[in-house]
Amino acid sequence: MIERMLLALLFLIGFWGIVGIRNIIKKIFGLTIINNAVVILFILEGSRIGNQVPILEEGIENIVDPVPQALMLTAIVIGVCITALALALAFRLYRHSGTFDIDQIHRQVHDVT
Amino acid sequence: MLPEDTVFALVVLPLLGAAIALSSKAFFTGKRKRNLEYLGAFVGLVLPWVVMIQLLPLVLTGQAIEGIIGGWHESVGISFRFDGLAWLVNLLGFTIAGAAWLYSLGPGPHGPHFTAVFLIQTSALAATAMTADLFNLFVCLEVMGIASYILIASSEKQGAFLASFSYLMVSATAMVFFLLGIYGIYRTTGALTYTGIINGLSGLPDHGGVVTYISLSLIVGAVAIRVAVMPLYGWLPDSHALAPHAVSSVLSGVLIKTPLFALSRVLLLVPAGMYAGQLMGYAGAITALVAVIIALSQSDAKRLLAYHTVSQIGYVVAAWGAALYVGTHTLQGSILMAGAFLHALYHAMFKGLLFLSIGTTTDCASQRNVYQLRGAARLLKQAGERIPITTITFVVGALAISAIPPFNGFASKTTLSYGLKDSWQYSMLYAAGIGTMASFIKLSRIYWSKPEQQNRFPVPVPNANKIAQTFLAILCLGTGIFAGPMYRFVVTLFAFGAPNGPAPVLYSTQTLMNTLILITGGTAVFLLASTRIGHNILKIIRERPRDFQGLFVAFSLGVTGLSGWLLFWG
Repeated sequence: MIERMLLALLFLIGFWGIVGIRNIIKKIFGLTIINNAVVILFILEGSRIGNQVPILEEGIENIVDPVPQALMLTAIVIGVCITALALALAFRLYRHSGTFDIDQIHRQVHDVT
Repeated sequence: MLPEDTVFALVVLPLLGAAIALSSKAFFTGKRKRNLEYLGAFVGLVLPWVVMIQLLPLVLTGQAIEGIIGGWHESVGISFRFDGLAWLVNLLGFTIAGAAWLYSLGPGPHGPHFTAVFLIQTSALAATAMTADLFNLFVCLEVMGIASYILIASSEKQGAFLASFSYLMVSATAMVFFLLGIYGIYRTTGALTYTGIINGLSGLPDHGGVVTYISLSLIVGAVAIRVAVMPLYGWLPDSHALAPHAVSSVLSGVLIKTPLFALSRVLLLVPAGMYAGQLMGYAGAITALVAVIIALSQSDAKRLLAYHTVSQIGYVVAAWGAALYVGTHTLQGSILMAGAFLHALYHAMFKGLLFLSIGTTTDCASQRNVYQLRGAARLLKQAGERIPITTITFVVGALAISAIPPFNGFASKTTLSYGLKDSWQYSMLYAAGIGTMASFIKLSRIYWSKPEQQNRFPVPVPNANKIAQTFLAILCLGTGIFAGPMYRFVVTLFAFGAPNGPAPVLYSTQTLMNTLILITGGTAVFLLASTRIGHNILKIIRERPRDFQGLFVAFSLGVTGLSGWLLFWG
């Protein structure tokens, strides 16, 4: 139970980062944190039925559920792509506006249009 | 070759095209580079039509190609299902994507990297349409999303970067919640394929109870962000308004509808799906009206169109949700679902057309403000357009979206209204129709009268623009004239097993009277909006505060509302 509570805490920290902090780089950190919280949750779920590596050789029993692990590999790859793209966009926004503050960027864009 | 083998070509061919386009950038220069890029686009956007035609006889008989990719065991493999629904969504995607890519040859964006990302997006659309696995749906939505963030940013404006960033943050966060929803479903049922989930749920007491409801709300909420139904629409206007014109037409036409129809596969099977559909339908009807009021207030031509996209998707979602609620096996449900799809398809045609025509016009006049641009028809003529193609195609699009016969918008909106008759949603959509009419009278004013500045040099109109616009305009008129056969075609392909009923009557005294009321009401609203008081009210609506946090507040409220709704009814 304690693991799940810690994960919920981690998730909330990430969500607060996305919504509550104005710096866009920190928002991207927040996105990575909630993504990782869910990844760990899946891995934890897979280990409910066993704790051995799911490589089927003789003498190995009590393996973890391999499906969540396979899913999370994909989810991690997608997460990396999203983070890279978000950082690239943050860089372009910084070059145009000279700031990482989302409210200031909003104001600048609003003034232009 | 068996159809089972060719069905993946719809996903693989665009990917292959993207690879060809990228390799042209890596290995060649000059003319050979361009030729190879065009070859990539041909492979990705034209060859799939061969596969589509080959698959048509099979899906017309109501059969579906089902299986597991790579022949793995059911518990670990990824299952897919290619049926009439998938065929129709592909039809929508490849038609608009082809026209939009052709248009991009004129004003841009140019280059192999654009073609490659564009084709990856098309491939993700085809994959989303045929997936029957919850996690694979997640992957497809993410690929589609990543491609669209890049395409929105490709107009290289600061506003477009901000729009793309905001969309990325809210959509990626929503997708993490989607993943949480998958976790909930996997934990209760131990399956990810749709059939496995249904089997798992039916074996549980109370169909899984609270956990299922919350998981389903998270999944539906994340998809609703992509579909941009109220209150989750906040990201759409900026990104659609600031993207390049060709991208705007694909985003508005195809990208926001594919997730909706992919979601209907899940919701049709899950017991609580009908209530989720019901609430989505209500939200859709409200969206249709509220968004059209905001659209009427806009001063930027493309942002006005973007709000109309939100409003029109409201029509689609209203009918789609009502169809899920009454069940697609009933006659009313099948009419509603067919109406929802027809409106999605026709909207893709006329909104694509409108974005391209307005894009050509505003580029030519170097002015996007609806209140300042005047005499665009004359400017286009000065720019060397001897036959006023752009003006004509705009008028076709505007008549179609305002539901004037014989254009296609009339056919789909009449079908929708027939299905929703005697409900409060019907009156909402009717009022939205009047607003649509008013705002397109407002938008069409940019073509009238004399240009205010004579000395401006209009930019010439590329031929690619004219070809793409003419193609879509012909489709708008053609599908409107052959509305009856189109309706029967869609109903046959959906193959719901509903009792065979009469098709909705399109041309009767009542529908024509409705059109007359629509025109009168629209003109009246337009005149009211042109008065000083109307102008001030619209200004307040236009300048209402919008911020980044609002997107997340809306998402949290939407998901909480949906779980509450499901718990209450379920």
